[in-house]
Amino acid sequence: MLEIKNLHASIDNTKILNGLDLSVNAGEVHAIMGPNGSGKSTLASVIAGREDYDVTDGEINFQGNELSDIGPDERAREGIFLAFQYPVEIPGVSTTNFMKTAVNQIRESKGEKPLDAVEFLKLMKEKMKLVNIKQELLSRSINEGFSGGEKKRNEIFQMAMLNPKLSILDETDSGLDIDALKIVSKGVNALKSKENATVVVTHYQRLLEYIVPDFVHVLMDGKIVKSGDKNLALELEEKGYDWIKVKN
Amino acid sequence: MIDTVDLRKSISIEDDNIIKDIKSKSIDKLKLSYKKYKEEYKYTPLLRNIEKKFGSFNSSKNIKKVDSYKDLISTNDKYYIVTLNGTFIENLSKIPNGIDIKNLKDLSKNEQNIFIHSYSKIDDSIDDIFSSINSILHSNCLTFRIKKSTILKEKISIINIVDSSKPTYFRKCFIIDKNSEVSFSEEFINITKDGNFSNSVNEIYMDENAVLNYFSTQNINKNYHYNSINVFQKRNSTSNFHTYSFSGSIIRNNLNIKLLDKSCFANMYGFYAIKNGSHIDNHTSVDHLDENSISNEHYKGIVDNGSNGVFNGKIFVRQKAQKTNAFQSNNNILLSDNAKVNTKPQLEIWADDVKCSHGCTVGQLDDDALFYLMSRGISRKDAISLLLSAFSTDITEKIEDKEIREEYQLMILKELEGLNYE
Ligand SMILES: Nc1ncnc2c1ncn2[C@@H]1O[C@H](COP(=O)(O)OP(=O)(O)OP(=O)(O)O)[C@@H](O)[C@H]1O
Ligand SMILES: [Mg+2]
Repeated sequence: MLEIKNLHASIDNTKILNGLDLSVNAGEVHAIMGPNGSGKSTLASVIAGREDYDVTDGEINFQGNELSDIGPDERAREGIFLAFQYPVEIPGVSTTNFMKTAVNQIRESKGEKPLDAVEFLKLMKEKMKLVNIKQELLSRSINEGFSGGEKKRNEIFQMAMLNPKLSILDETDSGLDIDALKIVSKGVNALKSKENATVVVTHYQRLLEYIVPDFVHVLMDGKIVKSGDKNLALELEEKGYDWIKVKN
Repeated sequence: MIDTVDLRKSISIEDDNIIKDIKSKSIDKLKLSYKKYKEEYKYTPLLRNIEKKFGSFNSSKNIKKVDSYKDLISTNDKYYIVTLNGTFIENLSKIPNGIDIKNLKDLSKNEQNIFIHSYSKIDDSIDDIFSSINSILHSNCLTFRIKKSTILKEKISIINIVDSSKPTYFRKCFIIDKNSEVSFSEEFINITKDGNFSNSVNEIYMDENAVLNYFSTQNINKNYHYNSINVFQKRNSTSNFHTYSFSGSIIRNNLNIKLLDKSCFANMYGFYAIKNGSHIDNHTSVDHLDENSISNEHYKGIVDNGSNGVFNGKIFVRQKAQKTNAFQSNNNILLSDNAKVNTKPQLEIWADDVKCSHGCTVGQLDDDALFYLMSRGISRKDAISLLLSAFSTDITEKIEDKEIREEYQLMILKELEGLNYE
């Protein structure tokens, strides 16, 4: 589904990704771990198509298409979703209105009829239940004045609304209390299928008990330096990242 | 400097001696207002543009046939007042009960005295050369008298038609009596293709407990417009101004509010989305002369490639005006490196027990927000529209009437489509 080869990316002339390879197939869950500043969020943004980054070398293929000339809006329509590490506050636009615009633009791009008010409300009610988010929150301006946990929950709500093929969750677990973590994981697991794939970026093995990964990768200095199964996460938790540095 | 010989000639035909006298005093003041022009119009070269384009300030005396203008009246309007090149067109107008609208010259001597007392007395003509010229060259002041305790919920549209290749002058004087409530929306519609100049001065007197809602919509493409609104408020009166500007070669708005008495309330809200090399200048002042009044001012604007915005907000709090609350802010989004805004707050406070705040910002479209919206599948164009219309909601939500509010929100959405961004 996602094939990244030798990806080099920089921002404001600072190199951040240095020849990164990653391959994700439908039905799989991948976890990416790595020290602060190693480039995890950068990778997530580059996959989602943020234009501030220059991809100086390498390529990203999604479902057989090379993405370099495709903007973030089209990538989303192709089925890529990024749950932001730091969700953006947007005063004056309600999440409801935002999602209605997004859902219908994606539908129209696929040649489907836009949802009318009743259909949309029904979809929203269903997904709200899944992540246990209140209507009142969604009619407020996007993320404005939301608590850290509410913002993360809103990300997963949006993911549920858009039903993407590839979801990238960038530290969706940080700032969540245990109950919220369970709810969010439950949501992610409920949306999992043979046709879609999930990439979770996290610092904590804890999340991986709820969302069990097929592969765990370690990202350091803009590269994947080690990959393994879920046991790698346990090992990292125990020994820290220095252990990998030493081995390399 | 302006040719006063020409101007004196133009008032010699005036048959009313009182008016002639007022006009000739305005000519005497020209020198003073010309001096102030340099400072007050630092970023807005209106005089130079008008002189170059029209040669003279004199207006045309030709009377046009009016029937063809009927189509310009929106079918949504219940009440409307039509003027053509400054002349009241009564047979195209529809006026509600409780309000008298007449030319100053057609009033009875008694009524005239009431208006003359206010008329041209304390407008901004000592400060502004365009108001001076208006005072001299307008042909007939249109008077509005809203009678005591008249509550008009339906808004009255003032449709000013500009169809002349020479400068046009519009002059109106409003007296809103005690306990009355009224809403106006005013707009200038330009018929000529090659660019015209309309100069409009309004004076508004609000008696105790009066409430006024006043909407201005400005979308005049390649034309020039000067607009001066001067408000005088008595005790417990409330004024709400909503100014929406979208295009114009040069538009200069002066909104001057004097809070003469205790416990007045003045709200000034403005939104501009400026495109196609337009230049829009909002100069406002609010003068607190007595205790316990509140003024709120918030202007927001979006300026696109090659366009210009100017904001200047003055707040005066006189020594007697203790316990004044005066707030002001101006926020701008520039859509390109080639968009310009000059914004300047000016506070002069002589009283000590006051609450005042002011602030202005000039920024760009929020990239993080844009990426966030687009990452959910929303096209760049629509994401920008969403952000910009969200930017305007602070201003539109101040419109209390739901129908009018939605009308302006729709208008803004449509106007945002025409903006050029990079
Ligand atoms: N505009 C920029 N200019 C220069 N460097 C930048 C810029 N933006 C990000 N960086 C740097 O890129 C590096 C990678 O950042 P990134 O956010 O991808 O790290 P991360 O792995 O997600 O870290 P964390 O675990 O803290 O979330 C950091 O060193 C960061 O300071
Ligand atoms: Mg990060």
